[in-house]
Amino acid sequence: MASYDRDKVKDIHEHLHSHLPSEPALRTKALMSVLEQKGYLRADNLDAWVAAYTEDIGPKRGAKVVARAWVDADFKARLLADACEAIKEFGFEGTATGHLKAVENTSTIHNLVVCTLCSCYPFSILGIAPPWYKANAYRARAVRDPRGVLEEFGVTLPDAVETRVWDSTAELRYIVIPKRPKDSEGLNEDQLAACVTRNSMIGTDRDLKVPAP
Amino acid sequence: MSDHHDLGGKDFGPIDVTHDDPAFHHEYEGIAWAISRSARAPAITIDWWRHCREMIGKEDYLSRPYFDSWIQTDIATYIDGGALTLEELLSGAAQPVTDPPPKTDKDAVLKLNQQANRDFSVAMNTPPKFKIGDMITTKAPRGIGHTRLPNYARGKPGVIHAYHGGHLYPDVGALGKHQGEHLYTVCFDASALWGTEARAGDKVYLDLWEPYFD
Repeated sequence: MASYDRDKVKDIHEHLHSHLPSEPALRTKALMSVLEQKGYLRADNLDAWVAAYTEDIGPKRGAKVVARAWVDADFKARLLADACEAIKEFGFEGTATGHLKAVENTSTIHNLVVCTLCSCYPFSILGIAPPWYKANAYRARAVRDPRGVLEEFGVTLPDAVETRVWDSTAELRYIVIPKRPKDSEGLNEDQLAACVTRNSMIGTDRDLKVPAP
Repeated sequence: MSDHHDLGGKDFGPIDVTHDDPAFHHEYEGIAWAISRSARAPAITIDWWRHCREMIGKEDYLSRPYFDSWIQTDIATYIDGGALTLEELLSGAAQPVTDPPPKTDKDAVLKLNQQANRDFSVAMNTPPKFKIGDMITTKAPRGIGHTRLPNYARGKPGVIHAYHGGHLYPDVGALGKHQGEHLYTVCFDASALWGTEARAGDKVYLDLWEPYFD
């Protein structure tokens, strides 16, 4: 039973700071080992979770959803109205997408997603968040200086384009629908999905390109 | 006041924008993720877990790796909940207390992941006080404890952009209570948050509960 006692947990953290090995891998192995001995987990189940989030669940899911939105106006309308429901058409719903919201880039609007308080991310549709998304530097500056942040990612935003930064402070999670790349007429849905970068679905990439054949 | 996790508006220098990275960079990161998904954790609220992460000491919070902070938070919540002792952790020896969970292969994991599509909404007995288009001002002072109203958006005017019904309220969720409050998306002019350094017309959106408003 959790104590919900702040002071108790602060004390626990101080003990952990003093007694645990500094190396993250050793801390992780120590926890894994005692949880396994107690019967709280199975080590081979951990491997299955790592495999799922390495091989199956990642930004390719989001890219498929974006490509569908580009070619199917009805799907795009459903996605913008209720992204959580719309991604069920792919079976992509899951961890941290229960209140998913899609926001659309246009020629005059650029969306950027951040979580300034922790690192909330729509795991089931974009996979594990990239390191920069979880870094202090991004969490700190995305809300204050989105144009400067975009410059660091190589994106120069024309002054006429409005930025909309979404700080994921509740259980809503956000996915950006980037603009369809120029010269992509005639591409099928799979070819379009290959144009979609992970960063474009977070908002740190904007002008997508058709990959060279 | 422990708010060293509240980073919005601060400056930690340039961003390492490394692009083509794998999901996990070190083996322990994958293990940390998998433990968070699959271990039989003590029954706690998501906001107690978040609050326990926020209570990692400032220097460790700001300098140690991200998934390391998950492991430290898991350890802290296990010890706090009585599921583990520091002595067991340091000695590396513990007695079985339950049968191990069933084996799950990747296909089973994909199903479990799909079933984790959690709904945080809560039926409310009272109507919302605000509607789309209403002006609100956020509360200025920050209390002790867990909250999801960041410092940079305190005491600021905004406009109700969307209403989401009742959602679990994190400020009391971190105290173990399942209670709903009306949740809104609020649009702030960047210039209302940052003054003249912001470009006129830029916007910042936050998802905020009704008690966060004056």
